Amino acid sequence: MPAILVTNLTKTFRTKHKAAGLGASFRSLFRPEYSPVEAVRGLSFEMEAGELLGFIGPNGAGKSTTIKILTGILFPSSGEVSVLGYVPWKQRRKLAYSIGTVFGQRPQLWYHLPAIDTFTLFGKIYELDDREARKRIAYLSEAFEIADLLETPVRKLSLGQRMRCEVAASLLHKPKLLLLDEPSIGLDVVAKQNIRDAIREMARQENVGVLLTSHDAGDLEALCKRVIIINHGQIVYQDKVSTLKRSFLTSKLVEVRYAEQIPLNFCIPGTETLKVGKERYGAKLRFDTRRTPVERVMADISAAGTLVDITVSDPPLEEVIAMIYQTARRPDMAGQG
Amino acid sequence: MKKYFAVFQINLLNTLAYPAELVTRSGMILIFMWVFFQLWRVTFAASGSNSLNGLTLHDTIWYLLLAETLELGRPRVSRTISDQVKDGSIAYLLNKPYQFLLYELNNGLGESLPRMAMLFVVGGALVWVMAGPPPNLLNWPLAILALAGAWLLHFCTGALIGLAAFVAEEVSPFEWIYQKFVFILGGMLIPIDFYPGWLQAIARILPFSYMMYGPARLFVEPNLQLFIQILLGQAIWLLVLGGSLGLAFSRGMRRLAINGG
Repeated sequence: MPAILVTNLTKTFRTKHKAAGLGASFRSLFRPEYSPVEAVRGLSFEMEAGELLGFIGPNGAGKSTTIKILTGILFPSSGEVSVLGYVPWKQRRKLAYSIGTVFGQRPQLWYHLPAIDTFTLFGKIYELDDREARKRIAYLSEAFEIADLLETPVRKLSLGQRMRCEVAASLLHKPKLLLLDEPSIGLDVVAKQNIRDAIREMARQENVGVLLTSHDAGDLEALCKRVIIINHGQIVYQDKVSTLKRSFLTSKLVEVRYAEQIPLNFCIPGTETLKVGKERYGAKLRFDTRRTPVERVMADISAAGTLVDITVSDPPLEEVIAMIYQTARRPDMAGQG
Repeated sequence: MKKYFAVFQINLLNTLAYPAELVTRSGMILIFMWVFFQLWRVTFAASGSNSLNGLTLHDTIWYLLLAETLELGRPRVSRTISDQVKDGSIAYLLNKPYQFLLYELNNGLGESLPRMAMLFVVGGALVWVMAGPPPNLLNWPLAILALAGAWLLHFCTGALIGLAAFVAEEVSPFEWIYQKFVFILGGMLIPIDFYPGWLQAIARILPFSYMMYGPARLFVEPNLQLFIQILLGQAIWLLVLGGSLGLAFSRGMRRLAINGG
């Protein structure tokens, strides 16, 4: 039985709207106008037990709405959903014992209290006996390297430290499925890496299925085996992450900064110069890793001057989705969704 | 029930995490009680009588202390729930294995109990100095039982107003109206005994007098008949408001649109 089975899921919200001005405000008091907003449109997918599935898309794509339906918080407008054999919105509390959730933008730890207090509370809420809870907290403290942080009031933790505590708290009751909604949002590169490593390791050790939403392509590269890309409430691509990388995540963006000025027509062989900084100390380049080896680009960049700073990143997900749309008609590249 | 006690415990800790805030808030009652004492002292002096409708100046001030303690110390559950709905944090509270309303009740209790205790002690010290010692300790048990009923009625009404955030964008006007009804028809500013007969009759039918007047009146004058009458009124209104709350919650869940994606 799949851990998650979603068939033709739709969710439509009603949004109140009014024209500008006092008159319109007054009219809307008596005759409010609503328009439907389709957040999720006919979504169907499966996820196997223990699978690491990335669920990505730009802001407003419908990722969070889907996750909230999967946890039973939101009622769908239509469609069928089974999560670990439960219908989430009908069996929300039973399901809660078997799933862990982290909403990156909504802290669940008590802000003014040390994280250990929230861990203890969750132990009681999930009906763990005290000894079992203490053992589990000790285990998670080690896995997420938070032992030194547990006694500190949450408000005094950095965002990265707090997120490690948040994810650890969501695993306290040994869930079979972890639903992570933007767990790396707002984190710096090191903190992102730490949280990804800890999640991957826990998923491997405890065979926890992870459904992860993100608008950061790096999250799914680091964590997931399979990916579903969703946009405007619909699946635009689903396949293995390795296939996605091979097909679409082939270009890299490089930002460089030198100690001395660079020429206006600054150029590194095999790359495209997107921009040269106003004061001509920095530049932004793009290259295709299939055509130009990364080592060669790095060597040429170093040779071009005294390098002060360099950042290599993936193209924004919006660009990847645009590429997927462009190639959607080609049978060898198109996703199954 | 262990999980709900844990919720009560954690919010108790959270409230005690800021003792300065707790003490400052309690300081408010000193001002209110001083003003009340001056007003009622003049009123009693002008009437030329020691007792008005069965209440002495001493009774009136201790009555008002209990009413103020309840008003200032009750949990602002309408604001808590409406904020949770508006900022989307309700998502976290709904995906845990507990009854949401019982969670909120224990959460409110954890916040309210230390506040009420502090308000009563601080305000009581001043009232003792101004008006004399507190009512006989034998009066307290009946008042405390009625106080628990009143607290639950406040919780149900506040939660109902908070859940209105499922459909209304702003619930503070409802809270404002509710508070004013408690002030006037609940007997918070003036004991209901001082009202004309027809207004007393109206006040005794509505739930507000059971939220404020009941426990405060029993505190200064224990009376078994009054106690039974108040407990019965509280039970009826708890059924009505508690039932409405359960219904509002299950209907609200269907309409819930979590804000913030």
